[in-house]
Amino acid sequence: MTRPEALSDAELVQRCRADDPAAWSELVERYSRYVYAIAVRGFRLSDEDAEDVFQDVFTRAFLRLETLRDDSAFRPWIAQLTRRRCIDFLATSARELPVEDPTTDEGSDDLGEVEEAFAVREALAGLSEACQEILDRFFAQDQSYRTISDELDIPTGTIASRIARCLSRLRDELEAKS
Amino acid sequence: MPDDYLALRVEELLARVARDGRAPGSGSAAALTVAFAASLVSMVARCSQESWTDARGVVAQAKVIGERAAELANADGTAWEEALEALREAEAGSSSDDRRDFSLEQKLERAAAAPLEIATLGADAAALAALTAERSDGRYRADAAAAAALAAGGARAAAHLVLVNLGVRSDDPRLARALASEQVANDIAARLLDSGR
Repeated sequence: MTRPEALSDAELVQRCRADDPAAWSELVERYSRYVYAIAVRGFRLSDEDAEDVFQDVFTRAFLRLETLRDDSAFRPWIAQLTRRRCIDFLATSARELPVEDPTTDEGSDDLGEVEEAFAVREALAGLSEACQEILDRFFAQDQSYRTISDELDIPTGTIASRIARCLSRLRDELEAKS
Repeated sequence: MPDDYLALRVEELLARVARDGRAPGSGSAAALTVAFAASLVSMVARCSQESWTDARGVVAQAKVIGERAAELANADGTAWEEALEALREAEAGSSSDDRRDFSLEQKLERAAAAPLEIATLGADAAALAALTAERSDGRYRADAAAAAALAAGGARAAAHLVLVNLGVRSDDPRLARALASEQVANDIAARLLDSGR
């Protein structure tokens, strides 16, 4: 059996989905510095705060691995997760409000999100590749219409209407499955 | 560290903007203007659902654009305050301090990043307003045009902030992107406003 270190990201993700703990350990090892660097260098978090973000990102990544549509895109995916958690962290810090029981809400949110993500992922699979691509770019990767237009070579003025049409189809798929 | 501006009453937010030279400032105001534009687009699309099959898809996009813009209102406030503080330190310090200068440069970079994203979101909000004006119930087209005008205003203000940021040079590709977003939003707003006159 090939050692985890020699596997590609996509192969590791596939093994993680098959409940291989060594594969997950390798992914964490491979991207720990990367995630930490985004938090510390990109968002100027302190070491302690970056450690909190780091733990949270990998927990969420593990819980949401099923939502990663392109297994080879683990790196941009975890980068996006990290950026979002850093922004959340800065926003929360800025509020300076007492938090009564953060763990309870966070846990239930995650569970709900995982269930929702499963349903959406199933429905997404019923859409065309083009629809999956454009929805992923706008909603998951936070890409602007212009970036999507440039990268997919589609006129900028048609991006919003394409996304709206794909969402209508996604809704039909979700309704059909429910 | 600035408060969460979205948690403030509008009256208090406006007073904070007017209060002194600290955040929230023009970047946050530009971001919230884009968020308002997205909310208007959402309203128009919602009101047109009976006659427009894809209206809900536009509502979803407007929601995302509005949320991203609102996040940036806070992010810009934070980055701006840090940059101001670094500038004050630089002005008060000795003439040569590589570490301090590097830190200042980094903070100015961050201060430019938020307005750049705000300008991009302004262009997106304007594009969504254009689609909404075209497909929505005619009774609400003036609101779609107003949304485009707000989006263009936000994009223009944000692009200006990128332009004047001390860390951004005239040949910086980020500036080109910000100005392109401003142009897109302005063109759309002008077209929609002209067509309603």
